[in-house]
Amino acid sequence: MTPTTPPAVGTKVPPLERTVTLTDMVAYAGATWDWHRLHYDPAYVAEKRLPGPVVDGQVFGAYLVEMLQDWLGPDCFVATLEFSFRNLMFAGETIRCEGEVSAVSDDAVEVDLSVTILGADGAEDRYAVKPASARVLLGSAGS
Amino acid sequence: MGLLTEEIKALVGTTRVYTAPEAMGAAAGRYFALAVGDDNPLYTDDAYAREHGLPGVTLPPTLICETNQYAGLPADAEGYAGHTWGLHLPGTRQVRGGNRYVFHRRVRPDDVVTATWEITSATEKTNRAGADMLVVGSRATYTNQDGDLLAENTETLIFIALGGAA
Repeated sequence: MTPTTPPAVGTKVPPLERTVTLTDMVAYAGATWDWHRLHYDPAYVAEKRLPGPVVDGQVFGAYLVEMLQDWLGPDCFVATLEFSFRNLMFAGETIRCEGEVSAVSDDAVEVDLSVTILGADGAEDRYAVKPASARVLLGSAGS
Repeated sequence: MGLLTEEIKALVGTTRVYTAPEAMGAAAGRYFALAVGDDNPLYTDDAYAREHGLPGVTLPPTLICETNQYAGLPADAEGYAGHTWGLHLPGTRQVRGGNRYVFHRRVRPDDVVTATWEITSATEKTNRAGADMLVVGSRATYTNQDGDLLAENTETLIFIALGGAA
């Protein structure tokens, strides 16, 4: 739901959950012109002793922007997005993106963010991204 | 310690400039949105985008910082076809620290992107486990064919010494 007034400090952003399949990863690799074998090649990742193809961490930025825009609606503009990687995510795993408003002004909102990888039971397993934050301008879709 | 060699220090200030051979294109934005599962009509519905003050559809904001389209580079042996600094430090493993994106405006299908990458810092540190690390900072500045500043991407690469306290 799109807020009609600027959200208050402490407001939680409706979370975004996404299971990232190998098909999603191949599509993302094509969409970004990044065909590194780490992201889809089982033989390559086995050689590196990894449990599976590694989700490209840059995609978390796209998910965080999607979550913020879905929440604040079309008349907002993500001006900054900052994130630190914590753990690798592998094909087939599920993440939950979350956010909480940390500061508000007349024309902008600042949000603390995180991306958590969920275990098979749906419980939080480990962070993919934390800390992370964004500054979103309100009142305009940008230009 | 010893990861921060004179050779590495000398790289600070190094730049690489890439100009895309063609405009970003609306299809690139639609493809990216589909790939990440973002159905925001700002990326696909021209009339909807205009209703919200935009000149037409725009591309998902992070695409410009994630794509290798502008680089025009061949894929390397591991399949990667984007900008790298080619840093290979023996006895270390490389991890990505994170990114900071600054978006100045939404990217439009007719933007022809020039990306200017620069190594901005190289710092030696010790991690919590006591391992030596080299932290390399770089920044990409994205402009279009008219010189409009579109976005900036500050990136951190970390080289962690293998063995010992790693």
